[in-house]
Amino acid sequence: MAQVPEGGSALKFSKSKGDWLRDALPKLVLSPSVAISMIFVYGFILFTIYLAFSDSRILPSYGWAGLQNFQNLFTLRAWNIATINLAIFAILYIGICCALGLLLAILLDQKIRAEGFIRNIYLYPMALSFIVTGVAWKWILDPGIGLEAVVQGWGFENFEFNWIKDRDMAIYTIVIAAVWQTSGFVMAMFLAGLRGIDQEILRAAEVDGASTFALYRRIVIPQLRLAFMSAFVVLAHMAIKSYDLVIALTNGGPGIATTMPATFMYSYTFTRNQMGVGSASAVMMLMTIAAITVPYLWSELRGSKQ
Amino acid sequence: MSFLDIDKATKSYGAVRVLNETDISVEEGEFLVLVGPSGCGKSTLLNMIAGLEGVSSGEIRIRDRRMNDIKPADRNIAMVFQSYALYPNMTVRSNISFGMEMHGVRKAKREEKIAEIAELLQLTPFLDRKPGQLSGGQRQRVAMGRALTRDPDVFLFDEPLSNLDAKLRVDMRTEIKKLHQKLGTTIVYVTHDQIEALTLSTRIAVMFGGEVQQLGTPQEIYDNPTNMFVAGFMGSPAMNLLPATLRDAEGGVAVELALPDSSYISLPFPRGATLSGQDGRAIVLGIRPEAMTDPESADAESPAIHQAELSIDVIEPAGSDTYVTVSLCGKDAIGRFRANTSARAGARFPFSFDMAKAVAFDPETEQRID
Amino acid sequence: MSIASSTHRIARFALYGVLALFCLYYLMPLYVMVVNSLKPLSEITSGGMIALPKEWTVAPWRNAWSEAQVGVEATGMRPYFINSFLMVIPAVAIATILGALNGYVLTKWTFKGSTILFGFLLFGCFIPFQIVLIPMARALGMMGLAGTVPGLIFVHVVYGISFSTLYFRNYYAAFPTELVRAAQIDGAGFFTIFFRILLPNSGPIAVVCVIWLFTNIWNDFLFGASFSDFNSQPMTVALNNLVQSSTGVQEYNVHFAGAIIAALPTLLVYIVAGRFFVRGLMSGSVKG
Repeated sequence: MAQVPEGGSALKFSKSKGDWLRDALPKLVLSPSVAISMIFVYGFILFTIYLAFSDSRILPSYGWAGLQNFQNLFTLRAWNIATINLAIFAILYIGICCALGLLLAILLDQKIRAEGFIRNIYLYPMALSFIVTGVAWKWILDPGIGLEAVVQGWGFENFEFNWIKDRDMAIYTIVIAAVWQTSGFVMAMFLAGLRGIDQEILRAAEVDGASTFALYRRIVIPQLRLAFMSAFVVLAHMAIKSYDLVIALTNGGPGIATTMPATFMYSYTFTRNQMGVGSASAVMMLMTIAAITVPYLWSELRGSKQ
Repeated sequence: MSFLDIDKATKSYGAVRVLNETDISVEEGEFLVLVGPSGCGKSTLLNMIAGLEGVSSGEIRIRDRRMNDIKPADRNIAMVFQSYALYPNMTVRSNISFGMEMHGVRKAKREEKIAEIAELLQLTPFLDRKPGQLSGGQRQRVAMGRALTRDPDVFLFDEPLSNLDAKLRVDMRTEIKKLHQKLGTTIVYVTHDQIEALTLSTRIAVMFGGEVQQLGTPQEIYDNPTNMFVAGFMGSPAMNLLPATLRDAEGGVAVELALPDSSYISLPFPRGATLSGQDGRAIVLGIRPEAMTDPESADAESPAIHQAELSIDVIEPAGSDTYVTVSLCGKDAIGRFRANTSARAGARFPFSFDMAKAVAFDPETEQRID
Repeated sequence: MSIASSTHRIARFALYGVLALFCLYYLMPLYVMVVNSLKPLSEITSGGMIALPKEWTVAPWRNAWSEAQVGVEATGMRPYFINSFLMVIPAVAIATILGALNGYVLTKWTFKGSTILFGFLLFGCFIPFQIVLIPMARALGMMGLAGTVPGLIFVHVVYGISFSTLYFRNYYAAFPTELVRAAQIDGAGFFTIFFRILLPNSGPIAVVCVIWLFTNIWNDFLFGASFSDFNSQPMTVALNNLVQSSTGVQEYNVHFAGAIIAALPTLLVYIVAGRFFVRGLMSGSVKG
C-alpha cells in the first residue's frame, strides 16, 4: 500500500528562499546532543582504544605499543581471575534472576489480592544504590555479626556461613546481593510480558482442556521470548558493568578473589598506574557488551522502522 | 484557470510513485470528494493541497497562486483531520482560537469569532471543556469550528466521519452538507466511503492505484462508470459484473447470459448499438441490483424492461428492500426486490431486467465499450 | 465439588504463603538496616542483628549525619548529601530538556539519516563507562571542571541524554502526528508546536524520565569516585568511605544509618511515584 509513512518525511516542505532556517532548525536543535555523543561517547571510545595500543602508564602517552598491553593483560593473574569471576557471576546472576523473576511473575499473575503492594515490595531494591545494597549485605553476611552469629546465637553452635571471608566462595556472596537487588525488576519485566499475552488465546487453551502447568509450559512461556531476550540483555550488561556492588561488598577481596573486569580496570588505571593495560581491559569490556547489545539494538531499530 | 487547480501533480517517495500525474480543476463553491480504497493516493493528494507534503512534480494553484513552496499556514486553507487532531491540553475555546492567535488576530476579534462559530455549530455550552470531555460528534464539530475561524479559500476534510458510529456518521454527514450549503465554501473531502461521496459531493474523483479513474458528478459516476473499478467501487451492493457474450439480433444487439444449467438467456441491449457487427465478442455486462428487480418494482418509465425467469439461491431481507442472489454467468448476481416479495430461496421467479441501465466493459482492458 | 473447592483453597493458601515468604526475603535487609541503625553498637556485636533494639537510640543517625569521620574531617554525611543534591538537580533538568527536544526532532521532524543518528545516540545507554573514564578525566581537567560538582553535572548530562532521548522519542512516536499537522496549518512554528502542543502533553513521560535520571544519578558511584575530590564527593562515595575506613572500631549502627540516609531520597521517590519508576525501568530496557 502506498500510504504516507507515518512521521516519515511527512512534515517537510519544499524549499524556498529565506526559509533555510526553518529547514535547518530541527537539525540545529539536535546537533548539540549529536556532537556530545560523537565526542564523549565515540571519540572517547576511540581514544581509549588508542591508549590500549599505547605505552601509557601513569598518564596517557602516545608511544605505539602494539598488542603489548593485551598480551600483558592475558598473562595477568588478576585479569584471569576477573574473567572467571565474571563468567561465574554472569551465569548465576542471569540464571537465578530469570528463574526467580519468572516464578514470581507467574505466582503474581494468579489474580492475587494486593498484587500491587507485593510487587512494590519485590521491586524496591531496584531503587537503591548498589553501594547501599553492598553495605547492607556486607554486614548481613559478615560471620562476626551477621547471619552466622545470629544462627549460632539461636543455639546452632556449629552453624557456619563465612563465604564472604572465603576466597573460593566470596564471589557467590556478590551473586546473592545482586540477585536480591535485581530479581524484582526481572519479575516486573516478565509480568509485563504475561499481561501482554492475548487473553483469548489462554481461554482457547483452557477450552481445549490444557492444565495450568501445560498452559504455562506450552502457551505462555514460549510467548515470553521477547521478555527473556530483554532480560538477558539488561542483566548481561549489568553483570559486565558491575563495579559498585563489588567495591561496597567485598572491595574485590579477600585478596583479589572477587576482582571483576570493572574493578580490575579501575585499579590498574588509577591506582597501579598501568593505564595501557587498564585501557585494554576497558576495550575488552566494551567488545563484550557490544557483542550482546548491538544485535539487539539493530533488531529493535529495524523493527521500529517498519 | 479555476479556483483550485491541480495541474499534472505527482508524488513519489524515492522510487515509489504514490500519485501519478493528476489534473483536477475545482470551481469556487464546489464540493469535491476524493474517494477510493486505502492506499489509492487520495490522502496524499489532500496533504499536497494542504502543504503537509511536497509536490514531486507539477503544480497546485489556489486562486491562480502557485502553492508548491508556500507553507501550510500561509495557503489560506483549513483542514479537518480524521482523528480531529484537537489539542488535548486546551479547552474548546483555545482550540478554536489557536489558529487565529498564531496569525496575530486581536483578542477582541478572536472572542467575537469564537462566539459566532460556537453559535453556528451549537458549541457554546462546551467552550470551556477539554476535548477529552466531549462526545465524538462534539469533537467533530470543534474540529470544524477550528477550521471555520480562518475563512479559508479551501476546506480540506480528511475522512472526518470515519471515527464515528454509524448513526452519528449519518447525522454529521447532513451537518456538513448543511454547512456547505450555508457557507458556500470550496471543499475537498477525502473518504473511502462511497455513500459519503455520493451524498455529499457536487463532483467526485474516484481514485485507485495513484490515479484518478473517473471525475464527474455523482450521477455520472453512478450511471456511467468509465471502467470496472469505478463500477464495482461505487454503489452498494456493488454493480453486478457478469461475463457475457454479444449477439447481433433483429433490430439491434443482445447479450447472452449463461445459466447454471448451461442454457442461456438472451436480453436486448439497446445501449450496445455501437457494438453491432461484433457477434460472439466476450464482454462484461454491468448491471446494478436495482435494475434486476421483481416485475412489480420495475421502472415503468424505462424503455427496455425485459423479463427472464431465474432460480433463486439466497434471499436477504434488508428491511426496506430484499436482496436476492442468483447464479448468472458463473457469478453470484444480486437483485433488489421490494420488501414483501413472495420470492423464496430455491424457487424460480421472474426477474425484470432494466437493460437501459446496463453497461458493457471489455474484459481485458476493463474499460467501458458501449 | 467441595473437594475441588477445598483443594483450591489449600492451593491459594500455599500461594499466598510463598508470596509472603518472598516478601520477607526482600524486606529482610531493609529491616536489618533500620533496626540496627536504632540500637547501640554493643547489641549488634553480641549477635543480636535480627532482634529488635533493647535500647532504642537515634545516636547512630545523629552520628552518621553530622559527626562521623568520612573524609579528613568529622563532618558526617551532611555535606555529601548536599553535594548529591547540587549535582543531581541541574543534571536531571538539563538532560530532560535536551532529551525532550531530541525526541521531538527525532519523531516529528525526521530527516534522512535521523533514525541512524538515534541509533548512535542510543548506544550511549549501553557502553560500559570504564571505556570513557580516562579521556573524561582529562577532558574535565582541560575544562577546569576536575573534582568539582559542575564537572559531575556535566558528566551526568552527557551520559544521561541517551536515556532521556530514548524516553521522549518513544513517547512522541506514539503522539499523533495529525496534531502537529493541525498546528502547522494553524500557523505554529517549530518551537511553538513544541512548547504549546507537545510539552503540555508530556507530563507522564517527563515524570518517568526525571525519576529515572534522578535515581540513576543519585545512585551513581563510578563517576563520583572517579571525578570528585573531598569537597565535591556525592553521597554514595561518602557512604563507601564511611564503611570501608577500617581505622578503629567498626560502627555498624552508624553504617546502617548512613546507608539509609543515602537510600532515603530514592526510596522516597519510589514510594511516592513507584508506578512511574517501574515504567521508566521497563522502557529504559525493554523498549517499545
